[in-house]
Amino acid sequence: MNRKFLVFVSLLSVLLVLMSGTVVVAQGETFMGKTAEELFPGAADETERANAMAALLEANLPDATGQFAGQTLTLAVQQAGARGGISGPYYFWREAFQAATGATLEIVEIPQAQYFTTTSTDFLTGQNSYDVMNIGAWFLADYVVNGWIQPLDPFFEQEGFPVWDREAVFPSLANLMKWEGQWYGALNDGDAQMLYYRKDILTDPDWQAAFKEETGMDMPVPPKTWQQLLAVTKFFNGKDWNEDGDPDDGISLHLRTGGQGMFHFMSLSAPFAITPAEGDDIGKITKYDNVYWFDPDDLTPLINQPGHVAALEFLKELAATGSTAQFGWELAEAWNNFLNGNAVATFSWGDVGSLAQDPSRSTIQGKLGGARIPCSEKWYDREAGVFVEDSANPNCVGNTTGGSWYPVMSAFTDTPGLAYYLMAMQAAKPINFFNVYYGWTGVDPGATYDLFPPIGTASVDDYVAAGYNADDALEYITGYGENFFSHPIYQTYLRIPGTETMWTILDTRLGQAMIDELTPQEALDLVAQEWDQVNNDLGREEQLRVYQAGIGYVP
Amino acid sequence: MATLNKEAAAQPVRAVQIGRSRLGRILLWVAVVVAIVWVLYPFVWAVITSFKTQREALEPTIIPFLQFQPSMENWSAELGLGARETTLALGNSITISIGATTLATVLGTLTGYALARFRYGIGNRNIVSWVLSQRFLPPVATLIPFFLVLQRLQLIDTVPGLILVNTTFTLPFAILIMRDFFADFPDEIEEAALVDGANPLQIFLRVALPLATPAITAAAIICFAFAWNEYLFASVIAPKDAKPYTFLVASTSTVRGVHFGYLATRMLIAITLPVVLSLFVQRYIVRGLSLGAVKG
Amino acid sequence: MYKKSRARYFFLLPGVFWILTFTLFPLIFSLYLSFTNANMRNFTRATWNFVGFENYASIGSDLRVGETVVTSVYLTVGSLLVTLILGTFMAWLFNHDIPGLRIFRSILTMPLFAAPIALGFMGLILFNETSGSINSIIRGLGGTGVRWMTDSWSARTAVLILDAWQWTPFVFVIILAAMQSIPEELYEAARLDTGSGWAVFRSITFPLIAPALGTVALLRLVETFKILDIPFSMLGGGPGSATQTYSYYVYLTGLRSFNMGYASSLAYILVIIAIIISTIYFWRVRARFE
Repeated sequence: MNRKFLVFVSLLSVLLVLMSGTVVVAQGETFMGKTAEELFPGAADETERANAMAALLEANLPDATGQFAGQTLTLAVQQAGARGGISGPYYFWREAFQAATGATLEIVEIPQAQYFTTTSTDFLTGQNSYDVMNIGAWFLADYVVNGWIQPLDPFFEQEGFPVWDREAVFPSLANLMKWEGQWYGALNDGDAQMLYYRKDILTDPDWQAAFKEETGMDMPVPPKTWQQLLAVTKFFNGKDWNEDGDPDDGISLHLRTGGQGMFHFMSLSAPFAITPAEGDDIGKITKYDNVYWFDPDDLTPLINQPGHVAALEFLKELAATGSTAQFGWELAEAWNNFLNGNAVATFSWGDVGSLAQDPSRSTIQGKLGGARIPCSEKWYDREAGVFVEDSANPNCVGNTTGGSWYPVMSAFTDTPGLAYYLMAMQAAKPINFFNVYYGWTGVDPGATYDLFPPIGTASVDDYVAAGYNADDALEYITGYGENFFSHPIYQTYLRIPGTETMWTILDTRLGQAMIDELTPQEALDLVAQEWDQVNNDLGREEQLRVYQAGIGYVP
Repeated sequence: MATLNKEAAAQPVRAVQIGRSRLGRILLWVAVVVAIVWVLYPFVWAVITSFKTQREALEPTIIPFLQFQPSMENWSAELGLGARETTLALGNSITISIGATTLATVLGTLTGYALARFRYGIGNRNIVSWVLSQRFLPPVATLIPFFLVLQRLQLIDTVPGLILVNTTFTLPFAILIMRDFFADFPDEIEEAALVDGANPLQIFLRVALPLATPAITAAAIICFAFAWNEYLFASVIAPKDAKPYTFLVASTSTVRGVHFGYLATRMLIAITLPVVLSLFVQRYIVRGLSLGAVKG
Repeated sequence: MYKKSRARYFFLLPGVFWILTFTLFPLIFSLYLSFTNANMRNFTRATWNFVGFENYASIGSDLRVGETVVTSVYLTVGSLLVTLILGTFMAWLFNHDIPGLRIFRSILTMPLFAAPIALGFMGLILFNETSGSINSIIRGLGGTGVRWMTDSWSARTAVLILDAWQWTPFVFVIILAAMQSIPEELYEAARLDTGSGWAVFRSITFPLIAPALGTVALLRLVETFKILDIPFSMLGGGPGSATQTYSYYVYLTGLRSFNMGYASSLAYILVIIAIIISTIYFWRVRARFE
């Protein structure tokens, strides 16, 4: 049986090789003496291969074989396979990297749920297996403070490395890769949550009329505040607006415990809980303004403040305009529901915009609407101790919610130069941009060149070439860009040791509030209490210092 | 001796003939069908899901062509592009499981025999309950110390390292099963051999061991199942060269959510080999456990 | 004389030596850690501090311990009962003269080899509340869909069902074997005395399979209490903390938060309880049969 299986596998491989052999297109250009065929064996089709080759040549990678030939670089990445999100692009560019450096790139894929455990254990035990690790932004504090990774700045001025444009990285994103002024991460993926909705449905005159009749409001396209979004999803929830014969959903969220549900809460609660500073610099971090996690003076958790609690209550209300099953959904289920045309809106990462273009994942290509994350008409002013309600001038706060999966360099690597070469190569504009406009890579926009003018330099045609519907590309990329550039202030990211622990706590307690085991107030009170405990265990004074440095607060 | 062994193995299946009435037989068959359906149910869904795209994976559709368009996408990904990884991980899993099973069974048979046949000053029951208590410690608590042990032995991310880990974890099972078997098996023959002047080692090798073949097989199957299914230690200790197949199964949950099609194919691939194996050896399992577990 | 033969050490020691070699260090090391405040920041002997029984003392006031023990006990007791009853029933069923028994038997052992981590993910498909086949069946029979993933006790039950599904064959195989070695004459005699199948089962079969059931129960008890993979992959310990078992909590504490000192003390409490249980079992329960 086993032999049969092996025979079958080898036959299949032979067949695949033969098939790829029949469609060889002559490539005039080569890189380091290698053809596009040799460099991109993993390309899905000839267009993708040609685009990749063009990007590679444009990246103008320096020949580093003299320096690195014969060396081996070990990279740890979240496992999803050679064509999967986040791990895929490292495979895709591996041959090119090896051609440019003469080194070998060893890719170690680790299931994402175990990634933090596996890499941390590796460091704690002094095994130090990995030269480069692709991490989620919330690992950074633990990694830096434990002395496991090193800054990249010393390499920036050196010759012989690929050039990447640090100025182009979205500022709020660049903050996540830096620690106390130094870069530890190189650009790869850029995460923030934005709003997606069904443009075809919300702009349908019949639905608009019905909406007006039922709510007395004009249909907001796109919904600009959470309150508007709630009105929309409430209206559509339970109606058969996709004409499939059963009632459909308003919102579709991934709220499962251990399924990144707490990220929804973070993005949604930001405009309920964060206030801009007074004066000219509204982004200034003060005791009361632009802070979200802890009081920057004494590390008192703010998570159970009235604004946060109100946001959780609101999230429950919003979730009630969708399937009750949402509390058990993870990314795949929630996205599926929206991409299959069963929900009128969702807010999530850039992935939804790119997955909507893939026919094996989506039926809504060409019907996508995208906008920046909504603002809130009601928020809590902690300094005054009151809620403010103002629907004309809502409070808008952007986010960088998510992992923004980027590579960092081990402090113990034997080959720092080679490690930096890989990181810089992946961050080089043409290559990074290629990864962004090919959605299968899981790499979301993170630099201005991914966006359309006036901020960026990309064109809709770039995205259409990679299979996007032109309207969808416009909606998604514009919305994503506004998410990073049009909000007056931004939510700070939690960057202190123990963040992984704190988010697990938040995730668990939010889950209990979602299924009504705890009230929002009780749940967040417990979170505050347990976060305090974590800070005490790790050393409160040092935690406070790191927190202040991380958000840029000067007492 | 050979005849005795044959006799033991050829013991006929004793069927209890209660359901002789027509109604009884119908009810019996209904129950059998229900039992089979209960066991096969998740596998049937895995087969269906393995032919679905991610978009369709959660749709309540069952019948291909009629309700959904079957796609070979998942299977071709596993056996085409991913073939190298699949065979590598399966190969590791096979080596690890067979290595650990062999070691655990050999050691378990010796120790089980010892605990059933001899008396020790420290108290046989104390030894047995100490062996069993090894299984109680949550493995997560010993992961880092284990890592340090393997590191000292330079066995991190190696197949021998995982064989060692899995042997240690499954050995208590093998010891308990073999002890039960030998304890329940009449030792008259062995005592006769002793009178004939054979030494304990000869008795063990020539008398006890041949009789124990079925029980050994049973212990082996159980150890194999545990080694084959182990994920947690492997995920930390052997993420690179020695990764077993459970690693690939777990990795269907990516930063973009669970890919259900890959999950289904991988689960089916993972189950194939042990099931085939169990088909060949299963008559020994039942026989072995029957001799071991009863009359305790 | 024979029982005290010097050769006895030759048989005993390899296995004992193996276990000691590879578990003694981890056990002592964990025990040592359980008296320290070792965490991710200070994971060297020079930097962590000895804190005495502080970790053990704080277990008592840790709210999460209570919650997770409830879940673990529910799953352990539930899964134990279901697997024992179902497995015994299946064994009884297939102890009849059924053609093709061998094929059925290997079909019935298949679940043993489905990796629990895979089974958990499979649960996402089967127990999906809106489109999952299990809820479809329930609705088809006129019921309302169960909230498998969003209600605490239903979620625990879903884990229980998957675990029981996987391990029923274990019980089935052993008990079937036990039943098949009951001499036919005993049944013949019993059937003359009483006509009912249940009476035969109760008076003849059950007493003879009881020791086997005892062994199986103990082995299952040990394994089920450590259940981690299924709740981990299917529910992420949720909804809320509903399917966070005790060992899940040890995992989160030790290998996510890397609060190794406390995690070790949590584990040690369990080992102490385990040793007590298995000692009682071997001295009291097994002693009656031997």
